[in-house]
Amino acid sequence: MNMNCRECVEHLYEFLDRELTPELEREIRAHLEDCPPCEEQYDFEELFLKFLRARCRTQGAPPELKKRVLRELFGE
Amino acid sequence: MALPPPSTDQKRESFEKEALVHLDVLYRVALRLTSNPSDADDLVQETMLKAYRSWDQYQQGTNAKAWLLTILRHAFINEYRRRVRHPETVDVDAIEPFAVFPDVQDEDPQGAFFDKIVDDQVLKAIDQLPVVFRETLVLSDVEGMSYQEIADILKVPVGTVKSRLFRARHLLQAKLYDYAVEMGYIKGSPA
Repeated sequence: MNMNCRECVEHLYEFLDRELTPELEREIRAHLEDCPPCEEQYDFEELFLKFLRARCRTQGAPPELKKRVLRELFGE
Repeated sequence: MALPPPSTDQKRESFEKEALVHLDVLYRVALRLTSNPSDADDLVQETMLKAYRSWDQYQQGTNAKAWLLTILRHAFINEYRRRVRHPETVDVDAIEPFAVFPDVQDEDPQGAFFDKIVDDQVLKAIDQLPVVFRETLVLSDVEGMSYQEIADILKVPVGTVKSRLFRARHLLQAKLYDYAVEMGYIKGSPA
């Protein structure tokens, strides 16, 4: 049975998060191929998630913190 | 026959190999939970101390990152409850943020306006989310954890993770969209 737009949008994040069964994923891909409005929305949300990840992952623990943890744990 | 307890050297070696390698992840999550570098340092430090003390309870080779994040979250909640006498009273699960896409699909369907927003503003917008949304969003969208891993860390059903993530993302989009309209990066739809 063909998926409709409402169902497609309902699964949007699960699809982008790779949390769906392969079967449901295939159904969504098939719907997106035939439905430019849904495809546009998927693209928008995918770009947003990529943007978010890129902006937030740049930060790591400061070197001072690592030294402090090692000092506290092992007396170094 | 029970195995002899590991020596201090062995304990240290395995802790360095499996736990200390996650310091960056712990710091990023701590920073978003506390919104403050100095509190984040303290939270990570406390987490590592607790983790090292209970290292015997951790089953080596399982998910150390999730185990550490669970400890971090407990430490954060305890401290947060102590400091904030009246924690969030809004029923966050009743929040229904609007989707931004219908408003921008004619003017900017590729979401180019997001790229004009500086990092600090993005982080500030995340820090303004209710804490239950913030922690779900950070574990998923910054650290790439699965729904099941997040559910295990937060001790909530997978369905709750899904719905909080949906709301958190839309709420964040709405904040960034409002900011972009205010800054003139996008015209936006008239109210």
